[in-house]
Amino acid sequence: MNTELSEEAVEFGRTALRAFEAAGGDQLVQDAEREPARRAELVEPVLDELGAWELDPRGGADELEAAAALCKAAGWWALPYPVAERLCRPTDGSTDASTEGLVVIAGTEPGPRSGPGPAAPVAGLGPRWSTVTLDGRRGLATAAEPVGSPRYTAFVTELIPDPIPAPVPDLPAIDGPADGLADLALGLVLPCWTLLGMLDRAMELARAHVLAREQFGQPLARFQGVQFQLTDAEVERVGVEELAKYALWAVATGRPEAVDDALALRLAALEAADLVFRVTHQLHGAMGFCDETTLSWISRYSQPLRRLPLGQAATRDHLTQRIGRIGLAGPFATQLEVQPR
Amino acid sequence: MTIPTGSGGSTGSGGSTASGASVAGPVDLAEFRAEVQRWCRENVPSDWRRAQTGASAEEFAAFQQDWFQQLRAAGYAVPHWPAEWGGGMPVAQQVVLYQELAAHDAPRLVLGFVSIHHAASTLLVAGTDEQRRRHLPAILDGEIWVQGFSEPEAGSDLASLRTVARRDGDTFVVDGQKLWASGAAHADWCLLLARTDPDAPKRKGISYFLMDMRSPGVDVRPVRNAIGDSHFCEIFLNGVVIPAENLVGPVNAGWQVAQATLAAERGMTMLELAERLGNAGFRWLVDTCRTPGPGGGRPVDDPRVADRLAELETEITGLRALCRGLVERHEADTAGPADASVVKLFYSELLQRTMDFAVEVAGLPAHAELRKPASSGWESGAWVLDFIGSWEWTIPGGTSEIQRTIIGERGLGLPREPAASA
Ligand SMILES: Cc1cc2nc3c(=O)[nH]c(=O)nc-3n(C[C@H](O)[C@H](O)[C@H](O)COP(=O)(O)OP(=O)(O)OC[C@H]3O[C@@H](n4cnc5c(N)ncnc54)[C@H](O)[C@@H]3O)c2cc1C
Repeated sequence: MNTELSEEAVEFGRTALRAFEAAGGDQLVQDAEREPARRAELVEPVLDELGAWELDPRGGADELEAAAALCKAAGWWALPYPVAERLCRPTDGSTDASTEGLVVIAGTEPGPRSGPGPAAPVAGLGPRWSTVTLDGRRGLATAAEPVGSPRYTAFVTELIPDPIPAPVPDLPAIDGPADGLADLALGLVLPCWTLLGMLDRAMELARAHVLAREQFGQPLARFQGVQFQLTDAEVERVGVEELAKYALWAVATGRPEAVDDALALRLAALEAADLVFRVTHQLHGAMGFCDETTLSWISRYSQPLRRLPLGQAATRDHLTQRIGRIGLAGPFATQLEVQPR
Repeated sequence: MTIPTGSGGSTGSGGSTASGASVAGPVDLAEFRAEVQRWCRENVPSDWRRAQTGASAEEFAAFQQDWFQQLRAAGYAVPHWPAEWGGGMPVAQQVVLYQELAAHDAPRLVLGFVSIHHAASTLLVAGTDEQRRRHLPAILDGEIWVQGFSEPEAGSDLASLRTVARRDGDTFVVDGQKLWASGAAHADWCLLLARTDPDAPKRKGISYFLMDMRSPGVDVRPVRNAIGDSHFCEIFLNGVVIPAENLVGPVNAGWQVAQATLAAERGMTMLELAERLGNAGFRWLVDTCRTPGPGGGRPVDDPRVADRLAELETEITGLRALCRGLVERHEADTAGPADASVVKLFYSELLQRTMDFAVEVAGLPAHAELRKPASSGWESGAWVLDFIGSWEWTIPGGTSEIQRTIIGERGLGLPREPAASA
């Protein structure tokens, strides 16, 4: 098992970072928020140029790793675009192959539901989206017209699921995965790479800030109370990075437990995001709440990734239900048989 | 699980509790409570939340002024002021008042907060008779104050502030810049700290002024924050002339004045916030947990949600008790040097935990809630905005790190952090 990203993927990530920077960097999300209608036109040319849509994350480890590196680069700049979701678009020639992308939706019901529908940060980017439920059932949905300014919604809009064509598919058997399980794993893992890019950036911004900002005649970084907070956040971030690589490997190698690993990654990423953003905001002082700081933008646009399709408690719940008493296979699982008493 | 209403339990009746007895005045607290309850039922506008949602800055200010006058007429606006200036309510009664206002989800006094607390305590503790006569009645009539302390380079290290005030005959001429002044756009007057002796040690060269915001040379610019509102402002000061009679305390003693007056109000203002969180705030949280989600189930039926609610309620109850203890010790002059820091630290972090949980439980509909009612507390029920707003709380009035330092050094008697040059 080699969970390191390939040198090519890492290099591709660097190229993407530079390309996004050249296209406007931090300005991109600010421009898109001011003029939501221009969102696609601001970002798509760069992604085209990078060859983003030639990547097939289902087409083998190399392409998947490159896709992950691209998502991470997008996260670094809070790129106002659902790169991960579009990369996950189905390519299996099924009827929904012409959708804009694939979005994981909460629940087990791919069709219409009572109450508020699922949602994703895909406002204004084409109406048709593929969906996959948390038990791996694929469906189709139409993105609603955005309500309200992205300043508050961060481009989240409701997805209105299509009725499910008859005959209604049976619930998947416990050990007979529905055909969308691989999509589910992929659709959970790639957005975590976007979030990881945001965590990297938040840490870098906070590090730079505490080195530069002086109070009491010295850089904030001199205070151990400041250092320790940053180190605790860094420990969390590093842990997520390792899990992200492992979950990617599990997806690439088509492991049956890839969904569990993806959920475990998501849980760890959400927990880390909580700490990283709490600490990085705190260390910025009042400044961190103002749009003069990049952190404020990154943190606001991290919200959809952290809340949708499932927040922390719901992710933990779902993971617990899935793995029950079996536990995660994981990279270090021992093959001990637990004898029933 | 019971939902605290602020009117039950051991917190009030007739000064019969141990803590109540120590501060209860001659007035029967149960009677007073009934009176406030009656007043709230008759006077808290039932639709104020709807009316204040999406309100313009002017509508907000007008509503706040109205509400303040209504409270004033009832004797509830400045209960903590001395009787001669229109207050004089015993502390035990003030506690009851804040409990009931919170229990009845009354609008908060947001606009006049600095005026009735910081400005008033500055005037009462360190002002001249003339300054008191000029401003205390004006505050009752609606004069609005802002606190102009922080600067771009002076946040936690407030004493390093650089705004200068030069003596010029019987005036001072002020140049500099203030930052993060909450509500400055509405303010008539400013509590201003400025450096009057650049050569003295940092804390010995600062003076405290009352500055008329309409003076020539005062330029207020709003700063938009993460929730999208602009209660923060920058204040640019360019050759602003302040008459020497607007100095509070002696020249170069401004730091000491600020310390004395900031501490004065901590207890009761925190108690009010804690009651808010424990009453309307927690009630909405429970309501949110009772609202069926997309799958039809109610979050509260999930044992883990119920568990968290119980945990939060326990913590909030602890907070309310802490605040009450602080108020009582303050009154008895027995408060420890770190007591206020403990309360501030606990409140702000608990508020963040509670709002975080609320966003989780509320799920997607909370993300569609794009506006919160003005005049509400930090927990308005627009959970996503409340959550983002709660992050601010660990910064002002001494950040959590500064509070921890105070608790360590002054509370626990631990040594100071070594200086940088070591
Ligand atoms: C909602 C809100 C309202 C405000 N209203 C007003 C107002 O009306 N008037 C006004 O004058 N100001 C106001 N302020 C400003 C407030 O007082 C300052 O933000 C506060 O003093 C912190 O300063 P800073 O933001 O510059 O952060 P900094 O002082 O730069 O601190 C940044 C980080 O470093 C940490 N740090 C700093 N020193 C130490 C240390 N010695 N040890 C360990 N950690 C340290 C801090 O805790 C923080 O995490 C407001 C702020 C907020 C957020």
